[in-house]
Amino acid sequence: MKVKDYLADRQGKLLLHLTAAAAMSAFLQLTGTSGGIVVILLIVWTIGLVSVLVADYLKINTYLNTMDTIIEGLDKKYLFFECLPVPPSNFLKKMFQIFRQSAKSMIEAVSDAEAQQKEYREYIESWVHEIKVPITAQQLICKNNESEVSKKILFQAGRIEAHVERALYYARAGSVEKDFIIEAVDLNEIVKKTISKYRTLLIRNGMQIEVEPLPAEVYTDGKWVEFMIGQIVANAVRYRSDNPRIRFHSERLGGQIRLSVTDNGIGIPPHELVRIFERGFTGTNGRKEGGSTGMGLYICKKLSEFLQIELSAESSENEYTSICMTFPAKESLTEM
Amino acid sequence: MQKIMIIEDEADIRNELAQLLGNEGFMVAILEQTDTAAARINEEKPDLVLLDIGLQGKDGYTLCLEIRRVSQVPIIFVTSRETSIDELKALSVGGDDYITKPYNIPVLIARIKVALRRCGENTAADHIQVKGLVLNTLKGTLEHNGKSVEATKNEVKILACLMQRPGEIISRMNLIEYLWENQIYIDDNTLSVNMTRLRSKLTDLGLKDYIITKRGMGYKV
Repeated sequence: MKVKDYLADRQGKLLLHLTAAAAMSAFLQLTGTSGGIVVILLIVWTIGLVSVLVADYLKINTYLNTMDTIIEGLDKKYLFFECLPVPPSNFLKKMFQIFRQSAKSMIEAVSDAEAQQKEYREYIESWVHEIKVPITAQQLICKNNESEVSKKILFQAGRIEAHVERALYYARAGSVEKDFIIEAVDLNEIVKKTISKYRTLLIRNGMQIEVEPLPAEVYTDGKWVEFMIGQIVANAVRYRSDNPRIRFHSERLGGQIRLSVTDNGIGIPPHELVRIFERGFTGTNGRKEGGSTGMGLYICKKLSEFLQIELSAESSENEYTSICMTFPAKESLTEM
Repeated sequence: MQKIMIIEDEADIRNELAQLLGNEGFMVAILEQTDTAAARINEEKPDLVLLDIGLQGKDGYTLCLEIRRVSQVPIIFVTSRETSIDELKALSVGGDDYITKPYNIPVLIARIKVALRRCGENTAADHIQVKGLVLNTLKGTLEHNGKSVEATKNEVKILACLMQRPGEIISRMNLIEYLWENQIYIDDNTLSVNMTRLRSKLTDLGLKDYIITKRGMGYKV
């Protein structure tokens, strides 16, 4: 707190002192006290007042600094009042009590919400596991009774699976629980697995794949990244051009590794490019093609924040779209 | 014939999986009572176990540990749980591989074959011989009657796919999927080109019409 601000708060008080001092001097002069004595009285008065103000200012300022340090050091700022020492004045104490009550109820509300979210997420997780059982059975039945119809059913089962997977990762991305493992994984292996997973979709749409050698090891959760690349690949198929192509390319940037997935599709208009990671954003292309949920890239963005991956996009309309994932250097991975 | 044991408590999946593996030429043993797993394994001596994690009562991890106490049989976890943590746990209790549901069926079959081969049950994997033609997948050569020609990686994989299932018609789509599984990302046109080249090499070896085209269905050897 600045001295000026401190004094501004006490304007009235200071004015009262000034008026009282003036009145006293006038009265004493009129009643015959000598000028010297009046001056001495005024000096004593001023010294007293200033020392009281300085002491009070220091007390308040120290307390405010303590508050600053605490709030800066706190990860969850709403726990502030739990960490604060009892303030130095009765007025502040009263305020402190009131704030503390409010903060308590907020902490309860937050932990209730977290518990609810956790429960919900656990339900989604177990629901996803359960729904996979009939999907698997359906797949096996189709495979054991191959026909034109079963192939169509199989294709739809694949779509259901993709939606289910997105729901699962959506629940994970919004959760405070962190159940991923950061370890050294081979980027090549992840790309290979993702292509294999989406190969029916890719082949069916005549997609050409170029995988440049990706000799890089990255520190991340392989499963999550597989899901993210999967969303990017699915988008490349959805917004493809006549001779569709996807290129996987990686480069080293110091300790970081950047993987770019570039297609030669219809691209994204420049004013929409900044919004593609927003929740529910579908854009002109999404609306034109239909069936876009605007969730895929949003979930990717959320997941990437957990994994400290930098996600960015570049595009030129009717030319290409390139989504880059920059994996953190091993040393820069902060405690998670 | 190799025997695969299925440990899975969902009856529909169990039965369909048994049928599928039966069609693939495996013998299938089904385990319904998980508490007798170790004893049944000793008795049946399967070449491979497909183990579900989310079983009623005992979970798959515990079961895997129990099986490991009595047998070194390859165990593939098949599960709908798919986090890295689950996978790590499965491998750390002694699982050999980990496949998530819903599985990609050709991948499942391929992984089963890899696990079996790794166990040395199926040693002759570097060359396949069908109807007088020997395909050496390591050297990348085709041999017939003492003559030999070199084949490209794509050609070797195409032939390997057909020769692994002699007499069976493989559709173009399945063939392309097989190649993609092996990181050969080719399309329909490229397959035709590769097929033509492969045929001319086979003709040079004196094996004209070794690969038979079934119009609208696919290829077979």
